[in-house]
Amino acid sequence: MPDLLTVENLRQIFGGRNPTHAVDDVSFRMPAQPTIVSLVGESGSGKSTIARIILGLLQPTAGRVLYDGADIFKGDRKWNRRFRSEVQAVFQDPYSVYNPVYKAERVLKLVIRKFGLAKSKAEAREQMEEALRTVDLRPEEVLDRHPHQLSGGQRQRLMLARVYLMRPRLIVADEPVSMIDAGMRASFLNILQDFRDNHGISTLFITHDLSTAMYLGGEIIVLYQGRIMEQGDTKIVMKAPLHPYAQLLISSIPTPDPRQRWKEDLSDAPLTEIGASGLSVAANRDRCLFADRCPQVMDRCWGARPKLEAPNHDDEMSARRDVACYLYD
Amino acid sequence: MPALLEIRGLSAGLRGRRAVTQVVSHVDLDVQAGEILGVVGESGCGKSTLATAIMRLLVPPQVLQSGALTLRLRDGAVFELLELSESELRELRWRHLSYIPQGSMNSLNPVLRVGRQMMDTLLQHGLSSDEAFKRSVEALELVNLERKLLDSYPHELSGGMRQRVIIAAAVSMRPALIVADELTTALDVVTQRQILQELAAIRDELGATILLITHDMGVVAQVADRVAVMYAGKIAELGTVNGIFETPLHPYSQGLIGSIPRGSGQRVEGLPGEAPSPWNYPTGCRFHPRCPKKFSPCQIQAPALLPQASERWTACHLYDAEVGDDA
Ligand SMILES: Nc1ncnc2c1ncn2[C@@H]1O[C@H](COP(=O)(O)OP(=O)(O)OP(=O)(O)O)[C@@H](O)[C@H]1O
Ligand SMILES: Nc1ncnc2c1ncn2[C@@H]1O[C@H](COP(=O)(O)OP(=O)(O)OP(=O)(O)O)[C@@H](O)[C@H]1O
Ligand code: SF4
Ligand code: SF4
Ligand SMILES: [Mg+2]
Ligand SMILES: [Mg+2]
Repeated sequence: MPDLLTVENLRQIFGGRNPTHAVDDVSFRMPAQPTIVSLVGESGSGKSTIARIILGLLQPTAGRVLYDGADIFKGDRKWNRRFRSEVQAVFQDPYSVYNPVYKAERVLKLVIRKFGLAKSKAEAREQMEEALRTVDLRPEEVLDRHPHQLSGGQRQRLMLARVYLMRPRLIVADEPVSMIDAGMRASFLNILQDFRDNHGISTLFITHDLSTAMYLGGEIIVLYQGRIMEQGDTKIVMKAPLHPYAQLLISSIPTPDPRQRWKEDLSDAPLTEIGASGLSVAANRDRCLFADRCPQVMDRCWGARPKLEAPNHDDEMSARRDVACYLYD
Repeated sequence: MPALLEIRGLSAGLRGRRAVTQVVSHVDLDVQAGEILGVVGESGCGKSTLATAIMRLLVPPQVLQSGALTLRLRDGAVFELLELSESELRELRWRHLSYIPQGSMNSLNPVLRVGRQMMDTLLQHGLSSDEAFKRSVEALELVNLERKLLDSYPHELSGGMRQRVIIAAAVSMRPALIVADELTTALDVVTQRQILQELAAIRDELGATILLITHDMGVVAQVADRVAVMYAGKIAELGTVNGIFETPLHPYSQGLIGSIPRGSGQRVEGLPGEAPSPWNYPTGCRFHPRCPKKFSPCQIQAPALLPQASERWTACHLYDAEVGDDA
């Protein structure tokens, strides 16, 4: 069976006098079996650009995206139609995608009609109610409301109900929980796990919040300046990151436990974000892009881009992951 | 030692077309000198309204309804903030009281250089331009920025750097109290960590007191000394950070802490239901529709914030001997 999704040597350069390498030779795959893959990285690291390309909204500068074995930019009309129903997007603020004058019921009905999901009114009603219950919403509480009358968490779940109606194989979720309160975040994430475990729906989950990625499990991909620094089993990577950037990132998670505070004080450390030093944006990219800030930088790190490959260590923690760093080759 | 800021019976609300509602209700809170006090709660619970009320910066339709705010500076000066005139306030604000509003990272003027913006405010407060420059450079150093940054425009800076400029401007007069609302919400974790650690260093260096408002439980756990948990415009619980996280007493604090997604493999359930809007706060205990432990008095009577053992205050009938079982 072909992979659900194969991303091959994806590159996106936004033009202008100072071209931005938003995505710089990124490859990864999602298998046919239902999974959750988290794409994490700081602001500007290229997460949304990758999402837009995978959704077919943006033609990449180079590289390919295969869905179920076929290039998403080369499908015929029939294939495109199938792609659009099997791959669904969930964005950060669901408010912006709703028509404010439509009630929740209309939002769901439109999907049912557009994709011809129900044969009768009764069946449509049945489907709507089932979809809402699957995302922990009570039909009587939301169907009759406008988007602005719902809380952020309810709007996000309504969005998931809409997606669920179409029974996609893949959800591409770009920062779906960043506007939801912690108290409701867990239930949103539980729904994605339920989709995977009970409905065969995979998710590509994009976030800058590592604790949600950790909660979701599955696989993780750590991006930095458009490149993958480390990828592998989420639990293993989070527990013992190998790449110095992944280490910095993971050790900076604000753990909600006052007995586990950040160990090192970075208040005098050099700034690490993209754009924080004029250097990182335009200059030579034939090197490790983290070299400017890496505490373990070596001479060779400046000479060529490190390959993303399995670490050359023969232990359990090195299994099932790839790292782009000269410390491990 | 008396509190740096004593908040008593502070209420603030919204004036609607036909009615006035209360968003923040009878808040009593002592902010101790030198502490970082975290204020947490779900979106819409009134955190920003509380912060703006403290700064006396409410704008219509927001209205101040009642209360008293007493600021006691180290040098012995005492100010009743709600009784000061606008001009007295302006002098006090920012020299002694400094406010970093939610979203201020995007409030820098795009056409003025950073240095100009930082110095303008200092000049307005009567500093000489040499003094203003010196203060600006010092303040930038506190937040790990180089002085050459004074010559740049806001768009040339990353989000984290803009937020640092805002913090630098806010602390350049070495204020006694800094009220910071969602300081690091839009930033990535590494930058967030650095900025929060810089803030803690500023507290140590300047001996400042910080009221840190956030919806992020991780942030308070990392940097706060004490935590006030807000729900529907009231303080539900107040205590030391270790106490609140280890033994939350209020059912809302318990739910909030219990619903945080942690390591993989341990499924947690979200808090059931939704936070109420100030236009229909429930009667009695405002948390009762969502409370798994509610009992007979909860719908009728509002619980008072009462002292419990060891530096803890909780507003819940479960911990009020007077209400207890005989109610
Ligand atoms: N249409 C565009 N034209 C020019 N540059 C763009 C465009 N879209 C994105 N970029 C740039 O590409 C880089 C990656 O942006 P992207 O939105 O993919 O990042 P992200 O990881 O999603 O960030 P965030 O966490 O802030 O959402 C950034 O430097 C951004 O400014
Ligand atoms: N100027 C205003 N006009 C209308 N409603 C307002 C205004 N300011 C606050 N509110 C309402 O008052 C309530 C409390 O708002 P506030 O901004 O204080 O909450 P918050 O806890 O800071 O929320 P968040 O975490 O989203 O920042 C909300 O219901 C909000 O909609
Ligand atoms: S390749 Fe070199 S600079 Fe890059 S992360 Fe590894 S050690 Fe650091
Ligand atoms: S007062 Fe009653 S409803 Fe409110 S938190 Fe306590 S037990 Fe729950
Ligand atoms: Mg994005
Ligand atoms: Mg707020």
